[in-house]
Amino acid sequence: MNIVKQKLAAFSFATIEEKGKTITVTVPKENLYETAKMLRDMEGTPFDFLIDIIGMDYGDEGLGVIYNLCCTHFPAYLIALKTSTPDRENPMLYSVHDLWRSAGLYEREVHDFFGIKFINNPDMRRLFLRSDWKGYPLRKDYDADPAINPVPLENELIENMETVPSITLKMGQPVESTRKLFGEEEYIVNFGPQHPAMHGVLHLRASLDGEIVKKIDPNFGYIHRGIEKMSEAYTYPQILHLADRLDYLSGTINRHAICLCCEKALELEVPMRAHYIRTIFDELTRIASHLLGWGCTAMDMGSITAFVYGMRDREKIMDIFEETAGGRLMVNYNVIGGVAQDIHPNFQNRVKEFIKYMRKMLKEHHILFTGNPIMRDRMDGVGYLSKEAAISVGATGPSGRASGWSCDARKIEPYAAYRQVEFKEMLRQDGLTFDRYVIRLDEIEESLKIIEQLIDNIPDGPYAAKTKAIIRLPEGEFFQRVENARGEFDVYINSKGDKSPYRIKFRSPCMTLVNALQETAIESKVADLIMIGASLDYVIPCIDR
Amino acid sequence: MKLINYIANIFIAIFRLLQGMYITMLNLIRKKVTEQYPENRGKKEQFEQMRGQLVMPHNENNQHKCTACLICMTNCPNGTIQITTKMEMNEETGKEKKVLDTYMYDLGCCTYCSLCTWTCPQDAIEWSQNFEHAMFTRSKLNIRLNKEGSSLAPKNK
Amino acid sequence: MFDFAIVTSWIDQFLRSFLSAGWTLFVEFVLIGLVILALYAVLALLLIYVERKVCAFFQCRIGPNRVGPWGVLQSVADMVKILLKELINIKRVDPFLFKAAMFLVIIASICTFGALPFARGLQTIDFNIGVFYLLAVSSLGVVGILLAGWSSNNKYTMIGAMRSGAQLISYELSAGLSLMAIVVLSGSMQLSEIVNQQAEMWFIFKGHIPAFIAFVIYLIAGHAETNRGPFDLPEAESELTAGYHTEYSGIQFGFFYLAEYLNMFIVAAIATTMFLGGWMPLHIPGWEGFNQVMDFIPSVIWFFGKAFLCVFLALWVRWSFPRLRIDQLLNLEWKVLMPISLINILLMALLVL
Repeated sequence: MNIVKQKLAAFSFATIEEKGKTITVTVPKENLYETAKMLRDMEGTPFDFLIDIIGMDYGDEGLGVIYNLCCTHFPAYLIALKTSTPDRENPMLYSVHDLWRSAGLYEREVHDFFGIKFINNPDMRRLFLRSDWKGYPLRKDYDADPAINPVPLENELIENMETVPSITLKMGQPVESTRKLFGEEEYIVNFGPQHPAMHGVLHLRASLDGEIVKKIDPNFGYIHRGIEKMSEAYTYPQILHLADRLDYLSGTINRHAICLCCEKALELEVPMRAHYIRTIFDELTRIASHLLGWGCTAMDMGSITAFVYGMRDREKIMDIFEETAGGRLMVNYNVIGGVAQDIHPNFQNRVKEFIKYMRKMLKEHHILFTGNPIMRDRMDGVGYLSKEAAISVGATGPSGRASGWSCDARKIEPYAAYRQVEFKEMLRQDGLTFDRYVIRLDEIEESLKIIEQLIDNIPDGPYAAKTKAIIRLPEGEFFQRVENARGEFDVYINSKGDKSPYRIKFRSPCMTLVNALQETAIESKVADLIMIGASLDYVIPCIDR
Repeated sequence: MKLINYIANIFIAIFRLLQGMYITMLNLIRKKVTEQYPENRGKKEQFEQMRGQLVMPHNENNQHKCTACLICMTNCPNGTIQITTKMEMNEETGKEKKVLDTYMYDLGCCTYCSLCTWTCPQDAIEWSQNFEHAMFTRSKLNIRLNKEGSSLAPKNK
Repeated sequence: MFDFAIVTSWIDQFLRSFLSAGWTLFVEFVLIGLVILALYAVLALLLIYVERKVCAFFQCRIGPNRVGPWGVLQSVADMVKILLKELINIKRVDPFLFKAAMFLVIIASICTFGALPFARGLQTIDFNIGVFYLLAVSSLGVVGILLAGWSSNNKYTMIGAMRSGAQLISYELSAGLSLMAIVVLSGSMQLSEIVNQQAEMWFIFKGHIPAFIAFVIYLIAGHAETNRGPFDLPEAESELTAGYHTEYSGIQFGFFYLAEYLNMFIVAAIATTMFLGGWMPLHIPGWEGFNQVMDFIPSVIWFFGKAFLCVFLALWVRWSFPRLRIDQLLNLEWKVLMPISLINILLMALLVL
């Protein structure tokens, strides 16, 4: 990290701050691209993984953007690259989409919520909101009056969705231009918003040539609820219940992330018992999510029986959750400082029974589906995602690990009880649809091992630390990475010492997976597009937030 | 060689397919997992922790424990709980005291985040295991939790 | 064994006793038409119920169990529902073709019924080219599917119909070739003749390995022709929502639905007739007592029993396997099934010689 600091010190305009494993670099907006490029191409430690782009409203100081960068060789170290522009009327920054491919969608998101325009980004449409939405909702001076943005009674015009504005520099002056996304002659098929294979309400518009996919344009925002905006008005305990509703299949883990972030900020000592229980719950959630992912992959392939088997086994986990926490899908168990209540006396027995049952069923699942020659034919050799591409688009989680990218946040920065257990990070090298599929089943096996190590050793003691009645986070910025069932889920909290956050941002692992879909599905068949989508296993509420 | 491979592949594929069919056949004769809902109504115990619906337990004298401190109302993220209070003369001390008038709970809005029950200092509200919430109109989901004419239970000392 | 020819000839003579020859024929045609339509409807309801129940059992569920005991009336209730449903008029469809398509599909499958020997003496027409007739008529359905996809003016239906065209025409080949193997064995194309030849021993046993291979290939190809199971690409729900019948509603959709189920039965019935001895009971040469016991079971039960066994096989496959991709589907046909069935015919010819 010292090398990085030395290199950065060469830039006289950059101010550098170091806090733990994070280096915060603040640069003027003119030098942003230069710095980003230097970090991206740094020898030995290239910061090739753009974790997230966080838009910020600094009030009188204008609007800003934080780029969270990570080097895949030393994944525990982070660089937060900050820049800001005082111009609130027509803020413009340089795009970094050509350095990191994941930046394209992130910049669109920032543009949507803060109105910052990114010069050179070829696609500056709004990401979640309709193109005729007035105002930028995450700015602090946004007027939420329903008279300004009444509930629209008509569909968004297709022309508006297809017209892509972009800004380029010509003779030093920014010039706005628009282009059409699809040509007149193209055969465009809608997948979604209501479509059996879209796992929610993702809207893919695919241009087809016969059965071959030529171009994909994802369209988000059908269930955008503005959770980040809502959170700015909520107290910290209230935010927690929204976390379950982000990626509903790994709700427990998302909630865990927010709890960890708040505990980090409060410097709260969480009892070991709570850590153990949280870890077991996380892993059970992961198993449930992967089982559903397995089932949905099978269902997308037309094997509905396998889907029902997956749901049947998942039901056992739901019962375990319900007995202890009272919720099934919205488990609602982690609270700041520990867990909500102690585990049920039956909990350990039930979990042990489940492990035995799941091992047996996993074997059957492998015979029924993994060994099936039809399934092998459809998955092998399809949807190749190279390691470089996976890093560049930011496809974390099982999808990234199937491409050989070691990106498990449980290993990078062990949180909760992951330090106490031995487990392998599942890695595969080929990056095909089949690898992404089979790595999930391997992870179920690994999760079972983790639970087995923990379940008998839950230490005695309190299940939650005492917290104040009203939780106020100290002033500052806090960042926490966890591994949810689909990839790296990060929470960024900017606190002004109030009982609710100034800005909260969740990194959605699924948004980058849609990026990966665009990357891999071109030139494949329609059926493969569905299969690649199923193997990436994105959850739409997580993208839309 | 190619021909042998071709034939071997066919046989391997058939074997694998038969294995898969064996698994489905195994499940055909397994015990079914479906629960017959209206038939097993009341027969199957719900889990104690299950969050079905917010209730306010009353004792045999029609007394509840709510002191109308409004903590649950302020903690509720989406305005599910609406409490109105009234001033009532305490006969023993002769002072006016704020007591609960109506405790309205909008089931249709509730997200079951459980913040109200966790933060209630008196443990006056709790979750019941009732899950049959289907109603014909929305207004019926707006439930009054304290019973008609109920009063605050005296504290056990 | 009871011969249904007694009943039919009695009806014939009864009618002839007070009607002229022409009128008799007319009345008989109408009667047969009605009987076939009724059988068609009843079989469809039964098959839908069976499919739902079997599928549920494969999936550790119970299946329909609310309407009637064990839910047996469920498909009747569904039929009433689908009859009462609104037919949605869709703008920008080709109205004539859109409405004609479903009739083409259903007529193709009803026509096959006429040639099937259901029991001893229970066969409407006994062509001397019965096998050809079956193959010809059952492949008419593809025209209906293509028209449905084309006339709906929808991209999903269009892709579904094109897939269906490619699939049905390809699989028609190996289905035909595998039936040809039996024609080689029996030396006749007349269905009654084929069934009669199996009195001693069913063709699947008589024809040794080639007949068994032909049987398996026919089941696979026939299954593909019904657009079900691993071969349901034309309506691949995860890709094309409902494929070629996306735009149809109410009973219009019901017709496609009926035709799909009946086609499944027809494939099973043809397989039964050609390979499993039709309505002939199971006879093992030399076991006289056993054969006599088998003879007591009515021929209708034999036929439907065997047909439903084949239907169960189809359901088992349908609910076990994932769907193929279009290129794999065609590869399977042209690179595996076709060569094998060609070689199989040769083998069969050698066997007969």
